Amino acid sequence: MKDLLTKINNMATQKFGAKYAEARAQKLCKTSLTLKEERVEAAKQGIENGVAIRVLVNGAWGFASVGSFDDAILEGAVSDACRMAKLASARLKTPIKLADAKVVTDCVTSKPKKNPADIQMEDKIKTILSVNKSSLGFDKRIKSCSVDYFDLTGNNTFANSDGTFIEQDKLYVWARLTASAASEGVFSFSREEIGSTAGYELFDAQVPEVLGVKVARLAIEQLNAKSPKGGKFPVVLGPNVVGVFVHEAFGHLAEADLALSGGVLASNLGKKIGSDLVTFYDDGTIEGAFGAFKYDDEGVPSHKTLLIKDGVVTGLMHNRETAQKFKAQPTGNARAEDFRVEPIIRMRCTYMAPRDQSFEELIKGVKSGYYFKSFRGGQANLDGTFQVGIQEGYEIVNGELGGAVRNASISGNTLETLHKVDGVGKDFMLDPGRCGKGQTAFISDGGPHIRLSEVVVGGSA
Amino acid sequence: MIGLAENAVKAALREGAQDAEAYVYEGQASNIGIELGQISKTNRIIDRGLGIRVTANKAVGFAYTNIVEDQKAVEKVVSGALSAARASKPDPDWNGLPEKKTYAETKKTFDKKILSLTSEELVNIAATMLDAAGQVDKRVFPIEGGIGSAYIANAIANSNGVTGFNRGTVIECSVATLAKEGSSVTPVCFEFNAGRTYNLDPAWIGREAAKLAVSALKTKSVETKSGKVILTQFALQDLLAYTLINAIRADSVQRDQSPFKGKLGEKVASENLTIYDDGLFAGGLRTWAFDGEGVPHQKTPVIEKGILKNFLYDNYSARKDGKESTGNASRAGYLSTPGIDTTNFHIMPGTKTSQEMLNEVDDGLIVYYLQGAHSSNPVSGEFSVVATPAWKIKNGEITHCSRGVMLAGNIFELLKNISAIGSNERQMGQLISPWIQVENVRVIGQ
Repeated sequence: MKDLLTKINNMATQKFGAKYAEARAQKLCKTSLTLKEERVEAAKQGIENGVAIRVLVNGAWGFASVGSFDDAILEGAVSDACRMAKLASARLKTPIKLADAKVVTDCVTSKPKKNPADIQMEDKIKTILSVNKSSLGFDKRIKSCSVDYFDLTGNNTFANSDGTFIEQDKLYVWARLTASAASEGVFSFSREEIGSTAGYELFDAQVPEVLGVKVARLAIEQLNAKSPKGGKFPVVLGPNVVGVFVHEAFGHLAEADLALSGGVLASNLGKKIGSDLVTFYDDGTIEGAFGAFKYDDEGVPSHKTLLIKDGVVTGLMHNRETAQKFKAQPTGNARAEDFRVEPIIRMRCTYMAPRDQSFEELIKGVKSGYYFKSFRGGQANLDGTFQVGIQEGYEIVNGELGGAVRNASISGNTLETLHKVDGVGKDFMLDPGRCGKGQTAFISDGGPHIRLSEVVVGGSA
Repeated sequence: MIGLAENAVKAALREGAQDAEAYVYEGQASNIGIELGQISKTNRIIDRGLGIRVTANKAVGFAYTNIVEDQKAVEKVVSGALSAARASKPDPDWNGLPEKKTYAETKKTFDKKILSLTSEELVNIAATMLDAAGQVDKRVFPIEGGIGSAYIANAIANSNGVTGFNRGTVIECSVATLAKEGSSVTPVCFEFNAGRTYNLDPAWIGREAAKLAVSALKTKSVETKSGKVILTQFALQDLLAYTLINAIRADSVQRDQSPFKGKLGEKVASENLTIYDDGLFAGGLRTWAFDGEGVPHQKTPVIEKGILKNFLYDNYSARKDGKESTGNASRAGYLSTPGIDTTNFHIMPGTKTSQEMLNEVDDGLIVYYLQGAHSSNPVSGEFSVVATPAWKIKNGEITHCSRGVMLAGNIFELLKNISAIGSNERQMGQLISPWIQVENVRVIGQ
């Protein structure tokens, strides 16, 4: 593979005038299952092989992707990419340049305790089925439950015209569980997600029967929950919600491409935008975490990147292009979903650092507000508006937990809201997730419990 | 392509499959991309593949590959699908694959002009759009967008003798902008043209996206109360995709996940609401001769004058209910087994122009974009989302923009509170719809 990729890069730089070229070959096998109640909708397996070629010609990007390792086809693709980049460069005002990156030669192998590729399909079905059986058996009011499972194994090979060459194993195991309940005309829905880059041993830690009960209990609890009041309230957020809050409300704004696009962070580098309690990281080095990897898709090592320290913005997430613009170091955040698409800046494991308060202390400080424990969806906008939907929430009355509330959400502006963090817990949890930015990326996010002195709660009551 | 599909089906039957179906997909796309205010990206993507679904002892297996170079590759996929099926559990409700039926001819789904566009022409179109956005106002910054043209083809064959071939073109041109003044940044404002035939107005796209962004610069807050809201197509597309569309899928109904269960023939919405799922709509972005299982596309009444008429079926859910598939099996190319989805979800237009709709609002909001619609409860239909942004309407005039306004409610209540439907129909992804005005929406101001 090394020879083939090197040949492509040489062709781009020597024959078609590219200043920089990179080629990324992917060989992946994917197994997936969808189970609905006790029915296996389909057992699936697939092969996704191909090559992505990216070139910089006269300061404009060209990209081509083909599902083939054939010399002649790849030659056509690299010529297309260079020709189109050249055409687009005619309109450039600011030619693209790349920050320097260390030339690397490395081979990264995954060492799972249990390799999902070695587990029989029958065994996978049995494991997933026990999740659904325990969900359905939890309560008669559980009407349906689904599990979507996949595992992915294989490798990526990367070579660029600087001389970097990296072979890297890929391994992901992931499942999403959902349950719905209905009783007397009231409907509810709950979800959970698990994921790992370590191996199939994920299911040793996440016991299927326990997972099934967990997701079922969430759906049942919502049946008797009431709608929250809309308006401004103090809230305590659980690690699962904090993770999405950090990811959506801050993380996207700290992606250097979005910061350059006019996002509110570009003008706030080095400035204090949150309370002293706010410290955020985006960390690609947490072993086994769903968002972790050793090298990104530009061949840059994945870093632990400090984004905010004690309320002050200290860094952004970069690829080589944005690092050059900010005169910063690339951080290893350039990721491509697969060989069909070009790498863009994505998060890895984004989290808030814990401090010293207990959950009880956080709750005690709230006279009338909410405790939001787990989320359902979230979204950010460049002006700093964020929204996080809540699936599991409770009232807090006079410092104590009250009844459950359903279908709440929180929203606000990041730059205002980070100042309202007035309590940060000592606990810590990281959850796996998937983030959409045109492409899907596997990420992790999390943190401790925290308290916001005030945030807008969207409720229909 | 049909030959490859038929060949795969034969191979699967030879290897012992009970039912066999092969789906072949090919997509070729060229894109010119705008990033940070300039045209700086291009790509050319070719994706082909083969997906095979088989049953063995009523258990379903599926395998796919994107490398289809020879007969050996086909046989490998066949054996992958069969081994998956043999490892799986029998499904007592499995009742075979669809039977052969004739297909209607689709209209305005293929345009040679789209395929003959050169890269130079694509760059020029993107530049026209970009220049138009820049000329509206200095405070506007076009952050991303571009133009993409694509050729898509698929073929299907199954062991009941179904064979089909579809091909079509798509062109899409879009720009996302925001406006900046001092430290104030607007939300992202987006405009686009998308179609199956070449009919673009890049200057209009650039201008409209820029004008919206400028109008979002000056903001005032709105009060928390329940009131009138006009939802534009952008907002409707997001909201309906995560709520109503789940409720009309037959599998949701069969699995007790839909509040519409048992309500066929009942009034579920205002009388002015009529919705068809129309897989043959001329020029529709989801118009094809057949669905992901080779069942002919059709026009299915979903809601007529407020009365719930039909659910959307694929072959599996239809046979479970003793019905015919409505042609709503959807696939993610060769990568997935079919699942139920809408084709073109057509909300029938009313008679009022945009201006007339605005004129008739004394006090309300118009919402272009929503944030967080995917966090809605897909079963109960409850939503709690942010309008990014909303514009206040006072005595028939748009007076100002407001940011961070939240809307909360339930889609099934919302459908009953529709008080006006516009004539300003437009197509957006799966949705073809005019503006819709709804009463009594809970609005939470900042």
